[in-house]
Formats: sequence, structure tokens, C-alpha cells
Amino acid sequence: MGQLLFKLFGVLLAFCVGFTHAQAGAAEVSPIATLSAAQLQAGQKTFAIHCARCHGMLGDGGEGPSLKRPVLKYAADDEALFTLINEGLPGTGMPGVFGPSDAELWQVAGYVRSLGRLPAEPMPGDPDRGAQLYATKGGCAACHISNGLGVGVGPELTDVGLRRNAEYLRRALTNPDADYPMRQTRLGGNINGFLTVRVVSERGEFEGMRVNEDEFSIQLRDLSGAIQAFDKRELLNYQRAFGHSLMPGYETVFDNDEVNDLVSYLMGLKGASS
Amino acid sequence: MIGCVIRAWIILAVSLLGSMASAAAPYERLLSDEANGADWLSYSGGYRAERFSPLTEVNKENVEHLKVIWAYQMQPTDIAGAGLQESTPLVVDGVMYLTESPSSVTALDVTSGRMLWHWAPDISADVLHIGFPKVNRGVAILDNTLFVATLDAQLYALDAGTGAVRWHTQVADNATGFSLTLAPLALNGKVIIGMSGAEAGVRAYIDAYDAHTGKRLWRRFTVPAPGEPGSETWGGESWQTGGGSTWLTGSYDPELDLLYWTTGNPAPDWNGDLRPGDNLFTCSLLALDPDTGEIQWHFQYTPHDTHDWDANQIPILVDVVYQGEPRKLVALANRNAFFYLLDRTNGQFLSATQYSKQTWAAGIDSTGRPLLLADKEPSEEGTLVWPSLQGATNWFSPSYNPLNQKFFVANRRMGAVYYKAEAEYQPGMPFMGGGEQALSGDQASGAVLALDVTTGKQLWEFPLQSPPWSGVMSTAGGLVFGSSNEGYFFALDDETGEALWRFNTGAHIRTNPMGFAVDGHQRVAIIGGQTLFVFGLL
Repeated sequence: MGQLLFKLFGVLLAFCVGFTHAQAGAAEVSPIATLSAAQLQAGQKTFAIHCARCHGMLGDGGEGPSLKRPVLKYAADDEALFTLINEGLPGTGMPGVFGPSDAELWQVAGYVRSLGRLPAEPMPGDPDRGAQLYATKGGCAACHISNGLGVGVGPELTDVGLRRNAEYLRRALTNPDADYPMRQTRLGGNINGFLTVRVVSERGEFEGMRVNEDEFSIQLRDLSGAIQAFDKRELLNYQRAFGHSLMPGYETVFDNDEVNDLVSYLMGLKGASS
Repeated sequence: MIGCVIRAWIILAVSLLGSMASAAAPYERLLSDEANGADWLSYSGGYRAERFSPLTEVNKENVEHLKVIWAYQMQPTDIAGAGLQESTPLVVDGVMYLTESPSSVTALDVTSGRMLWHWAPDISADVLHIGFPKVNRGVAILDNTLFVATLDAQLYALDAGTGAVRWHTQVADNATGFSLTLAPLALNGKVIIGMSGAEAGVRAYIDAYDAHTGKRLWRRFTVPAPGEPGSETWGGESWQTGGGSTWLTGSYDPELDLLYWTTGNPAPDWNGDLRPGDNLFTCSLLALDPDTGEIQWHFQYTPHDTHDWDANQIPILVDVVYQGEPRKLVALANRNAFFYLLDRTNGQFLSATQYSKQTWAAGIDSTGRPLLLADKEPSEEGTLVWPSLQGATNWFSPSYNPLNQKFFVANRRMGAVYYKAEAEYQPGMPFMGGGEQALSGDQASGAVLALDVTTGKQLWEFPLQSPPWSGVMSTAGGLVFGSSNEGYFFALDDETGEALWRFNTGAHIRTNPMGFAVDGHQRVAIIGGQTLFVFGLL
């Protein structure tokens, strides 16, 4: 029937969650522990349909994070992983998976855990040199906050190593126009993130990163970090400038080794350090 | 029967005394619901399902002054997963009746928004709702009784004055995936309901119950058994798990005495190999004899659907001059991106006009059958098709203004990559055979459209940021009320589509507007998030 309304909102099949609680509680053994090799293979197939677009065909990341990690930030245990797959993660680009049965979702969860037992992605360069480049030649803190330091124009990088793999980080550095990851709210629709928008109104001309937008209004953050908000009725011109990231491409600033170093530094950013 | 008549007279007398505690909606009043702007007596505001308010106090000239008169916060619930509000309230003699997720009913005083009573059934935390959230779309009223269909597949009759249960009946076994989310439809002495559950592989039906006793009067399966008409369109034993849900309120023509009810997708959704044939009567409009449930005619919009483009949209009854002749028609903007006109006396196909981007059909032939394009089926590697499985529109209501013969519909503009997978039926488990990855972000959008009802031609569009989950209501004041995922409730000029007024409710809106009057003054209502807002001119 087609009340398949809420895949995008990640709210689905809550009965599965209830069932899962009961099942896990009674058995006190994670259903993942009982999966056969064939079931894990089936999990990989379901993963390819529902998860691979963002997490990569091999689970090594893309728009979504690499899952080749022994510890997943939002899935401390197997039950949490099942719930995350089932319901999604509000406020991120992760929707709940719609369609598969709870048994199939456990197979997916098992496959994801098996990815965590694979060797971690190697760093292509020297993260310490990368840290220096970040602070000096790159001037990255002029637009990014990491560990509480910097200016918040572009995305915060404090835990970017948990969210993006090396390939994505390299692309973001050398071709920042390539990706506009989804900014998803629980029930309020979603828009592409980090999009440059250009607005002309009687107040002047403005360029910045889109913060939010709806049918009547738009909010952007300009390069000074200030929020500019507009009623669409007052706009003389409005452009969603796909392909024109506010972030400069660094392929001419850094040589290849330096890109590798910086990517390595970013891969190591895994949350606030005290 | 005599008792009922006496009761009705007593209630009428009480109403005339000005009491707010009793409300009465005899069948005769339901028949004139469309012309009665003060009340809203059924889900779509009348049997014709126009979702049209004849009131003109609020109009193009003054709508900019529309203000919140009162608001009502939904009752907290500790039922996991509950809280999406899709109810259309009814208003009867100064009392508003709305449902709250998952299946409770609330009565409010329309002058103040103060609660009169609240009834909450005991819904188990383990209730199955395979393929849809824990929602309810509203009650029906007949005489002094409300009817509410609950998520655990029960039908309750409640005293409208107090919320006390008059009777209830178990319609189906929720453990097999059957559920109820729709607002029932009350006819003369009976109440009609339809089922949810195709994503669990149920074999669905439409039921009629005696309004006074709760006794089932008839049951019409939408998937025929072997030997019945249409059974030749199901290969093997696939009919047993064929789906064909009936989860949205139908419409009714009292002169023709025909009940119009739409049906949902076949099961499993995306793997059609398991159910060869056209799969009648899924994705169809059925015209039923309301006394027997016999199918008088049927029209299938999407034969052998493999994209979950069910036909669970509101069929609106329109009387227009069509190609020079006055005709009784039924208009439906289908999830499959075509707008259909049928002769509602006999089901004759008249026209189908594409109203939204689609990439699956070259058109619709002269019999109403789609001309399929190649390579648009779900596949293991994924197939990109417009519209997405959520369709070019969905359950949320369209509206028809009979004064200018315009049809308004909230439109989802979104494609999806469809996948096919194995499907094995197990009772009470998902039975879908695949999935989709919908295009999202700036790749998807929405609109409110105005169509000429006789030609299907688009007259204007009002763009929405994202594909909507909320319906529209037109008014004799020249307005179209609609809303957005982003939380806006707005009024459009029905001639131009220009937004004349808007209000940010602060939360996602996923229901339909409705209208009524208090002391002769027009009101418009919408639910945003967990709050019902009632608007009027101060």
C-alpha cells in the first residue's frame, strides 16, 4: 500500500524495534552472532540495494561514512546498530531503511559488523605534516571549526574522520564542487548541504552558503559568518549555484604529497579532544 | 429504529436549546454537507469528496488578516513511534472531533479549543503497521455516534456527546498485518471501512457495518478468489497474498446509489514475477452497491503495478459539461502521474492527462490502459523512474471548486531508483520484494497545481521546496489552502496561484485543511506537528 511515507524520515517499522528488544532480551545473544556465512552474504546483497549509494558498494564510504570501523559512533552495540539501520539518524543524511524484514535487517547489521573487522583504511600521508598545513599554508581555520578553533563558515571538521573516507576528503580538497551531501531533518524535508547561493534584493547582492530554505524564505551564511535572511518575495534574483563552492579548490595550492598529508590529518579527526 | 428516531428528535431538541454537549448528524444532514459551510460532517467535507468550503467571509481581499484564534496541543502518548498527525477534524454543531496518533479521539469546543472529552483505546506497543506509520485520518459521524477505525484493526462506535463506547468489533487480525488508518465513511444506517496491509501480503477488502449494532453487513474482497470475475488476472496462488488495500475514504453518489472506493497496490510491491497478470482489482476504482458490496463497475489505473503506485487517492465526483454534454464524472489525480476522468455512471474511461513528470509510460490508450515504456521495471541493479514510489501525489486530499471547475492537487516531484528482490510470504512480516532509493534534496520538489477539470490542463502551479505530504482545500472565497513539509500553512489565489497569506506552524504538516464557522464567522484548521491551529479574521 503505499503509505510508504516515511522512508525519507526514518521513522519506520517501529514494531521491528519492539520485536528486536524482546528477542535480544530473551536470548541475551546478539542475533548477529548466529548469522551464517550465507546470511551475511544475503546481508551484503540487501546492503547493496539500500545502503551502498551513500556508504559505498564495499562499505568503504562515500557521501556517508566508511563502515570499516570496529566502533561505530552511533551504534555502540548490535541492537543500536539495528535501530539505526531501521529508523535512520535524524539530523543527518541517514534515512531509515524501508522494506526489508527484521531478519533481513539483522543480516545487514551483521554484514556491517563484518566490515568493522576489516583492516582500517590506511592513511596516505603524514598526519602531523597535514596538521601543520591545515594551520599554515591551507589557512583552513579561516572557514572551518575543528576542536573549538576556527571560523564557522564551512562544515565543522571536529569528527570529519568519522564521517568521510580518504577518497571523499581528497575530492573535497581538490574539487569541492563535486559533492553536496544531504542535510536532512527529521520531518521537515531535506536540502543539499553546503550549497552556494546568490541573492540580489533591494538590500544589495549577497553570496553565501545556504543554511536553510523553504518555499517562502531563504537563510544563508556569508563569508564573514553572518546570517542573511530573505523573504523570497523581496528577491530580484536568486541562484542556487551548484558547481560553485565557496571553498577554493586546493589542487593548485598543494602538491600531491601535501594533499595526502592533509587528508591523513583529517582522517584522524574523530571527535573533540580534551 | 423507533428508538433511534426518538433519540434523534431528542438530540435535535437539545441542539436547538444551544447545548454544546450533544451533536447530531442524521443521514439527511450528511447529504447536504457540501452546502453546509458551518459544519464539516465527513472526511472530505461531503459525499462528493470535494474538500471545498462554500464560505466566503475569508477571501482574496482579506485573507492577509487571517490570525490564529486558538490552538490545541495533542495529548502526549507513550506509544513508541506514535505522533504523526494525519487527521482531518469534523465539526458538528459547535463540537470538533479529531483523531490523534495512533488511534485516539478528542472532542473540542470550537469557540475556545477547550477539551470536552478524550478517548484512547488500548493499543499494544507491538501493534503491526507494516508499510506505514502509526497514524489515523479521522472519524465519521452518523446521528449521535462517531466511528473510529483503530491501528489494531478494530472498529469502535463512540457516543459523540461523551466518548463512551457504544459497540466495537474486531475487523481483522492485526497479527497478519491487517490494520486500519482511514476515516470511515458513514452512509444511511451503515459505516464503510477499508483495510491497510498490502506490504504484509494481506488479501484486502472493503467492509460495511450496521451503524447501530456493529454487525457486519457485507465484505468485498479486492482480490478475487479462483472462479470469481478477475481471478484470471492472478497467476498460481498469488491471489492469496495479493494485497489491494483499501486504506483511504471513498466517495458516494446518493442519486446513483453508488459507492466509489479506491484500491491499493498488489503484493509483493516491486517483484511482479510472483503474481503474473493484471492483478485485478488492485490499483483500481471500484463502484459498489452500498447495500450488497457488489462491484457495479471497475477501472484499473495501473495494471500489474510494480512501483507501488496504488490508487488510494480521493475520487472526486464532478458534474460538468463534458464535450458538449452534461455528465456525471469522477476525477482522480493518480499516484502514477496521470489525471483521470471517468463516467461515474458506468466506469467509461474518458481521458488521462499527465500532470507530473513520469518516465514509465508513453501515454494512456483510448481504453485507459497505459502504454508502457521498456526497461522501467524494478531490477536487481536498480532502475531510475519518475515518479518515486510515493507517487506524483499520495493519500493527502485534492480539492475541487465546483464554482470554477478547477481541480487542485498537491504534487510530489521526485524520481527513485527501484530495486527488485526476492519475496517470501510469512504472515505478519513485510512482503515487498525490493525497495527504492528516492532522489532527494534539491533533486526533489513539490507544487500545488490547479487543473482544468474537464481537460486536465494545468492552469498554474505554486512551487514547494520539497515533495509535500499534505492536502489542499478550496473555498468559495477564491482561495486554495495548502501546506508544506517546511511547516507553512498558506492560502493561494485560485486564479493565479499567488500566495496571499502564510503562517509558519513551526513543524512539518502532513494532513489536510478543513473549514467551518463559529457564530457565522469562517474558520480554517490545520495540524502542524502536534498542534491543531484554528484560523479566522479577528
